[in-house]
Amino acid sequence: MRRERNPLLTAYAVLVYAFLFAPIVVLIVFSFNDSRRNIQWRGFTLDWYPRLFANDELLDALSVTLQVAVAAVLVSVILGSLIGLGLARLQSRARAGADTLLLLPMVTPEIVVGLSLLLFFLQLFDANGSVGQLQIAHITFCISYVAVVVRARAAGMDPNLEEAARDLGASALGAFRFVTLPILAPAIAAGAMLAFALSFDDYVITTFNAGVGSSTLPLYIYGKIKFGVTPEINAISTIIVAVTAVAILLAWRFGRLGGVERSKLVDEAAG
Amino acid sequence: MTAVSEAPARTQTRRVSLAERFGGLRQWILLAPGLGWLVAFFVVPLVLIFVVSLGHRDELDRVVLSNPSLDNYARAIDPRFIPTLLNSLRYAALTTILSLLIGYPLAYWISRYGGRHKGLLLILVMLPFWTSYLIRTYAWMIMLRDNGVVNSVLQAVGLTSEPIILLNTDFSVVLGMTYGFLPFAILPLYVSIDRLDPALVGAARDLYASGRQAFLHVTLPLTMPGIIAAAILTFIPAIGDFVTPDLLGGASTTTIAKVVQELFLEGRDWPYGSALGFFLMLITLVGTFIALRTLRREVVGA
Amino acid sequence: MTHRYDGSSIDIEKQLVRYMVEHKLTRRMLLERIAKVGAVTALAPIIAACTGGGATASPSAASAPPPPTGSAAPPSEAAAPTPVPEPEDELFVYNWTDYIGEEVVPSFEEKYGVKVTYDFFANTDEAYAKLGDDGGGYDVSFPISVDIPDFIERGAIVALDKTLIPNIANLGAEWADPGYDPGNAYSVPYMWWTTGVGYDTSRITDAPTSSTALWDERWSGHISMLDDWQEVFALTLIQLGYSANTESTAELDEALALLEQQKPLVRTYTTDTITAMSSGDHWIGHIWGADLYQISQENENIAYYVPEEGGVKGSDTATIFSGAQHPIAAHLFINHLLDAQVSASNTNYIGYMGPNAAAKEFIDPAILDDPAVNPDQAIVDKLQELLDLDQAVRDEYLNRWQTLRGG
Repeated sequence: MRRERNPLLTAYAVLVYAFLFAPIVVLIVFSFNDSRRNIQWRGFTLDWYPRLFANDELLDALSVTLQVAVAAVLVSVILGSLIGLGLARLQSRARAGADTLLLLPMVTPEIVVGLSLLLFFLQLFDANGSVGQLQIAHITFCISYVAVVVRARAAGMDPNLEEAARDLGASALGAFRFVTLPILAPAIAAGAMLAFALSFDDYVITTFNAGVGSSTLPLYIYGKIKFGVTPEINAISTIIVAVTAVAILLAWRFGRLGGVERSKLVDEAAG
Repeated sequence: MTAVSEAPARTQTRRVSLAERFGGLRQWILLAPGLGWLVAFFVVPLVLIFVVSLGHRDELDRVVLSNPSLDNYARAIDPRFIPTLLNSLRYAALTTILSLLIGYPLAYWISRYGGRHKGLLLILVMLPFWTSYLIRTYAWMIMLRDNGVVNSVLQAVGLTSEPIILLNTDFSVVLGMTYGFLPFAILPLYVSIDRLDPALVGAARDLYASGRQAFLHVTLPLTMPGIIAAAILTFIPAIGDFVTPDLLGGASTTTIAKVVQELFLEGRDWPYGSALGFFLMLITLVGTFIALRTLRREVVGA
Repeated sequence: MTHRYDGSSIDIEKQLVRYMVEHKLTRRMLLERIAKVGAVTALAPIIAACTGGGATASPSAASAPPPPTGSAAPPSEAAAPTPVPEPEDELFVYNWTDYIGEEVVPSFEEKYGVKVTYDFFANTDEAYAKLGDDGGGYDVSFPISVDIPDFIERGAIVALDKTLIPNIANLGAEWADPGYDPGNAYSVPYMWWTTGVGYDTSRITDAPTSSTALWDERWSGHISMLDDWQEVFALTLIQLGYSANTESTAELDEALALLEQQKPLVRTYTTDTITAMSSGDHWIGHIWGADLYQISQENENIAYYVPEEGGVKGSDTATIFSGAQHPIAAHLFINHLLDAQVSASNTNYIGYMGPNAAAKEFIDPAILDDPAVNPDQAIVDKLQELLDLDQAVRDEYLNRWQTLRGG
């Protein structure tokens, strides 16, 4: 296929990426700042990186954050995608109701969601916060985001495609797996990425549902504001960015991201 | 699309009617687990908070439910909150519009010109947001403060002779919020744009006089679901965002979300805070529906 | 759960549970009993059961009167009176981040063989929501002094067994009987501070001494105030010559009017005074005295003063919660904090003054000489404490605060 070029749009894209990464550049630079408080630049040092690995509190917080985020992404992606797909196809009048139910978690102020879950777990289960409670809380607020994205994609998809596959002899599950899923895949992936970002950074809802010994990275960081958010935080963020970048590069190298080609074939075959 | 094979009419009819019946049921089977979870872990807790909102405080700031009433809701309609409410709506609206305007061309570019690298480019959009929110915001503070990078550049280039106050203003708040919500707009937009059949776009080009018209009359309406999704994912959370205006804002940038927060924590008035929270939810829902209807009308109507 | 304290394996937890079940006690009742008659007496039967009848409980130790307070008391080691009831295996502490000397917890863990889980919070509001009415799983936490009466009334914290806290003798005379907790029955002061004004001497050269400097139009756009309704109103009320805890709505209205005049000049209302004052964007700000130490690390030009009209003093306090599962360890921990050297190491690390008179000889002279952290007596006499206001009064303040802050 002839690849067009649009230099104006490309220049624009570069600008937008620059905008997106500007604070990250600052963040990385300041991870080498020789200043505990990290407000003004004082000099170059590599010290924060080894100190980071000696900082048990921070590493524990990171571990909890990842435990919660991974659980949140896995479950919310499954449940959210199902909702998104179901809603896109739903014809009945209950649709408006289901729509509203979907939007409610997003519309509710975070403090109300956080406190309501605190009350819920406290009154009904006498629970005082824990990693499990956090996981449930995070899954709950991520579902809607995934569902909205998947629904947008599913709405643009012809429902008869599955029908056609069934006509050609595929089972219901097979049709789902080989027709619907590949088409929805980008939306599901997008939802997963959004969910991860949401969960990783959540503060308000987490505050009310973390318990003794289950503090997350945002809680740790906010707790440090009063006494100085040291460059260790910058260092760990830099490492996360670096690790992710390497992972992406590796995945790209081995052609996984070229999976878009395969779905294109499906598109073309489907007409 | 409906390239139906020449199957015997009898089988065809039976297939359709079965599908129809199953269609409805199948949708509900899909919806059940997710909706069930939301009912258990969202609706039920929300009902608890609603019950709280009907109660009162005693002198020890404990919740008392003996005389349930809607008093707190009446109190929530207080003209004192109007400036903060307007702030929230203003910031959310600006953020949404800017995110859509900035995000759409980028999503379009990735979809049309990204080629083999589409996935990579998308992940690149998300990558900055897998770092700590607070540090990103601090980075903006470092850039925007009086002796920060932006002011230095402006002065070096000669546009200004003195540092201008960029931080702690409406400008910095909207900038920070737009930055924070941009990926929430880009991703759904991309997902919808990428669905476009290039043949359709090509056909539109042939039919309409200019590329611009083709865009307005064909591309834009067809990507409506994505635009709606992007608007929802931006506007709604933006109304509830109180941290960004708190950190990047100044003396006059208080939002209604912050007021709710304060009522709960400083005022220790859970019933009142809950009522105000619900009130805010109501306003957000109404605002969203109006915004979406306008969006649909403007874009599809054009 | 077994102890490693003296080598023999004693299952205190099991004995405790059995004891409570047999006597139909809840943990709270047990704690109250301990508070009343002393830990040793209350737990004597358990100790007896554990050591096989060889209990060395001495009633005299249990009912000893609280040791006299006063700065004449010699610094003492953190040794509880013999016999020491054995602490539990664990302790859960909830405190501000970085608000404790680096060696304090490890030295406690080593001394008593107790494993401490130490969690942190960002601000008091969330902390209080977590702590709830019984500690929310934590044994020890550090509420602010002004909130203590409320905690006592709700039954959230328990009266302390002073026999387990002999180091309380180290407290300075002015802390023996604070207004928020007479006789320190339920709490022990931890760190204290003043609230005043900080300014950048390179920008503001005329050495202000009054809080009206925060209203000076020359600094418009570069003024910061605390995002704390009680502090902001206190500053304004004191400036007007009223009490910081006034109940008069007329006086509050005057304060509000004054604050509204100031608002167009204010750049931010923030509690992150350190970032605010070191970024260069703010030239003068309403700040907590002890933050000065941190700010000066970033910006050497910062000076601090308590306004000549008067200022605010506050403290936080160590308390034990009613739901505490490890009351003995909790008491020993608080005692540990009051040890002269431990208290000094806290001050040296955090930069706040403690209430510990005996600690003064171990505190870094730079901190002792710093008038921001350790003001002299004349200023101390003019300081007002922020009190826990009645709900109705509190609402009056908050309503006006929200009117001020709205949009």
